[in-house]
Amino acid sequence: MTFVHSIVRALRLAALLLAISFAAMTTLTGGPGLGAPALAQTGVETPMEEPSPGSGKVPGRSIGNASDAEIWRAVRHGLQGNVSLPDKQAGLLVQSEGEEWRSIRNGPVTKFGGWLLLGMVGVAALYFALRGRIPIKDGRSGIRVPRFTQTQRVVHWFTASLYVLLGLSGLIMLYGKHVLIPLFGPEVFGAIASAAMQGHNLFGPLFAFAIVALFFVFLEHNRFRWADVKWWLSLGGFVGGHPKCGFYNGGEKVWYWMAVALGLTIAVSGLLLDFPFILAAPQKLQIAHLVHNIAGVAIIAGGVGHIYLGTVGMDGALEAMTRGDVDANWAKEHHDLWYQETIAAQQTARQTVAQGAAAEVTT
Amino acid sequence: MTAETPAATAIDRFVTQIGAQVAAYLDACVHCGQCAEACHFYEVSGDPRHTPAYKLVPLARAYRRHKAPFARLKRTLGLAPAELEEADLREWQDLIYDTCTMCGRCTMVCPMGIDIASLVGLQRRGFAAAGIGPEDLFEVAENSRIKGSPLGATPKVLAERIEWLSDEHEVEIPLDKAQADVLLTVSSIETMKYPQSIVAMARLLNHAGENWTLSSKGYEATNFGVLSGKSDVAKLMLTKIVEAAESVGAKLVVIPECGHAYGALRWTGATMMGRPLPFQVMHITEYLAKLKREGRLKLKPMAKSVTYHDPCQISRRGGATEEARFLLSDFAQDFREMAPTGNANWCCGGGGGVAAIASATELRRKVFEIKMQQVADTGAESMVSACANCRQTLDDGKAHYEWDREIDSLVEIIADHLVEA
Amino acid sequence: MTFLELTEGPLWYAASAIFVVGVLWRLAGIVRLGGPRDLSVPRASATAGAIKGIFLHMVPHGGFFSRTKFHFFAGYLFHLGLFVLVLFAAPHVLFIEERLLGFGWPALPRWGFILVAEATFAGLILLWLRRLTDPVMRQLSDGDDLAGTVLTFVALLTGCLALQESHDSLRALHMLSVEVLMVYFPFSRLMHAFTFAFSRAYTGASYGRRGVVP
Repeated sequence: MTFVHSIVRALRLAALLLAISFAAMTTLTGGPGLGAPALAQTGVETPMEEPSPGSGKVPGRSIGNASDAEIWRAVRHGLQGNVSLPDKQAGLLVQSEGEEWRSIRNGPVTKFGGWLLLGMVGVAALYFALRGRIPIKDGRSGIRVPRFTQTQRVVHWFTASLYVLLGLSGLIMLYGKHVLIPLFGPEVFGAIASAAMQGHNLFGPLFAFAIVALFFVFLEHNRFRWADVKWWLSLGGFVGGHPKCGFYNGGEKVWYWMAVALGLTIAVSGLLLDFPFILAAPQKLQIAHLVHNIAGVAIIAGGVGHIYLGTVGMDGALEAMTRGDVDANWAKEHHDLWYQETIAAQQTARQTVAQGAAAEVTT
Repeated sequence: MTAETPAATAIDRFVTQIGAQVAAYLDACVHCGQCAEACHFYEVSGDPRHTPAYKLVPLARAYRRHKAPFARLKRTLGLAPAELEEADLREWQDLIYDTCTMCGRCTMVCPMGIDIASLVGLQRRGFAAAGIGPEDLFEVAENSRIKGSPLGATPKVLAERIEWLSDEHEVEIPLDKAQADVLLTVSSIETMKYPQSIVAMARLLNHAGENWTLSSKGYEATNFGVLSGKSDVAKLMLTKIVEAAESVGAKLVVIPECGHAYGALRWTGATMMGRPLPFQVMHITEYLAKLKREGRLKLKPMAKSVTYHDPCQISRRGGATEEARFLLSDFAQDFREMAPTGNANWCCGGGGGVAAIASATELRRKVFEIKMQQVADTGAESMVSACANCRQTLDDGKAHYEWDREIDSLVEIIADHLVEA
Repeated sequence: MTFLELTEGPLWYAASAIFVVGVLWRLAGIVRLGGPRDLSVPRASATAGAIKGIFLHMVPHGGFFSRTKFHFFAGYLFHLGLFVLVLFAAPHVLFIEERLLGFGWPALPRWGFILVAEATFAGLILLWLRRLTDPVMRQLSDGDDLAGTVLTFVALLTGCLALQESHDSLRALHMLSVEVLMVYFPFSRLMHAFTFAFSRAYTGASYGRRGVVP
């Protein structure tokens, strides 16, 4: 019964999440909440049924048959003029989608992103407050089991160091004006923001290499298995004890695929922003920018959980990525299936050696 | 500094020996660890402690504390490394002695070109002065001091051996001639274990029509003073040979198949004696190559497939890499090079006195597995070398693993293929 | 005096003086230790050996490349990159022209700078990570290795963060971090930038006379 109950509860939770994300999506994609306009434009915004230039009568001093107001309104909505410059986009005085981009970035992206990040930190903190550091149940055995190769560790930390540098500089660009200006004032923030942007643009392309390397180096063991479904159904051990688990558990696999997918999205959109002549059109750049922002906030939020569990959250986890090996009891507790496979492989190897030695003696 | 404790003695010996070259080495090491990739002991153990650069820690600490530029400033500020203690030396003993053959392979891979082997040798001199090191190696060195030979081949034993070999093999072996152009020296490993090697050298010298002799004043080329770090023994052994050569008026001293004996006399002898040597020094392979070049060596071709194991002190650290190959060319019809070979060849694992250290046996035998693999890859039936110490190490490995290849001496196979006039 | 004036004035002169005098003092301190003259009869030229040694150890030789390629690639990426950045970054060329030599040379274009800076960072981070994850390097490393890496990293980073060249404070920060690096340099293992030549030359000379440069 409890099993069925937990499924029902999980489904209800999923439904709730779906509803929330749907609401967020409608807000993002042009619901009524969208148009929080910039200060300069407040009051200028007019209803949709505005007259097209050249249709109405001409008030005030004007040459031609369109009023100043109508011309400016048209300009405001992206009227393309003629210029003799090679770059025809220079004929565009006001790129009006830019206003939408601005309000989405400064509106829902900033707001929901902020809640998401704070929420993740809060959940981690709360979890730590309630459960503390998860110890190794049977204590340390002193026996080490190799887990990650040196290549894997170098690639991981290479990606991680860029993740931290890019994450920090990215957060400064997105939230700096809300957090740093009140703290340090606009002058200092100007310098910090400039530094953050230059650093972000510079380190970005390296992250593209890193994430591709990460994908290949950690692909092994990260394909989904039936055990992962069971792992998720028990919510990673909250329900019904620690589930059976191979080299990675379901949560780790989701993080891997999430990091790869988000990382690639960030890398591609970031490269397009770093080399803007590829897309050329500002509208496309704005979309790339929003995608970059949302994926960036998401990977930082996911990273909070990953970093928490990898460091303070669990005893015996970090050393897998620093030393490359883990305590046998930790392996047995958290990755029992993998542990059994490893031990079996070791025993087979030992037997082969022993048999070889025996064969040598007999010959 | 008063040299009261073993640690103080060692530090004192370290510091007085550090010249510009050593200082430059110690200041250039960036701890990159690439030297581990060249070390046969690290190769078979995978133990980071066996990294060659790590073996230099005691010396580097003493240098930074006492002799490096700014050492005084750093000591005042408490930034210099802690003073070495006896416990440190004991901790490093197996790294300085058991797991370094001073083969110099690590120098090749070092981006700074640091001659780590010579620095280990320097440390051995400090350790030996402090009385810290393997008892068995020290005992062998003391044997040299007392009996004139590490394995107890006193002049009397030598004379008896020579007489016996002379009769047994019907070869003339002159001992203590009053005057000779060439002074031949021997390695005690040969005297006691491979006496046919002495016979082979005698045959070759006679074949060349050389006016040569052995001398009971100085015959022992093997220098365990150098290997153990006992500088006084090292100098004593060298002095005997130099005086013997001078007393017979030799123009040339021939070093037998012994790696470090060659380096000791040929490359460090004059400097250790403090004067240029009044004679030429040649390793037996160099000498035979010279005979061959002069047309004084007539050989029957050899059909058996062979490969050549480079003794580190002859090839990589002696510079006579090509002499052995010149000797084998034309003569050995099926000569096969190992990979890696020449100056990059793997060490046998028993050089630098390691073969005489019992506690090093297990790891040394594991090193032999590298050699077995190298030879197996060439498919050669026989591995020849030009160093009795290598040969003894290889023979031990062969016996231990019941290996199915032959191990031979270059000089012996050449002597066996002489076309007698 | 503004922060920038401080870092481009007194602090710059002080750091330069410590750097130059310190490096010369340390090199002289090494050379003055001397050593016994090698009295053996040489088989080949020691001078030729020394020169060969200096160049030979720039490239992998002896068949170790497959084992040391990480160090080779990351090492060259970082060292060549750093060399190019120090000498050819546009603000550096200008600084050298205006403050040091009175003449300059063509500088890297902006895209070139960014490319080289990325290579340099990648190299430095990779070498650093190797130091942290490789048991052999961990065993060898000490605080000096860490300090040298961190100071170099910070100097590089502040330089790149000042790329917009529109904030005096960022420029001053870069100056300051470079000055700290320069002051630390003569007392540390960073000296390998000079001692490498001595070390290679000594080995090249002593083995060159034996007829082999290992």
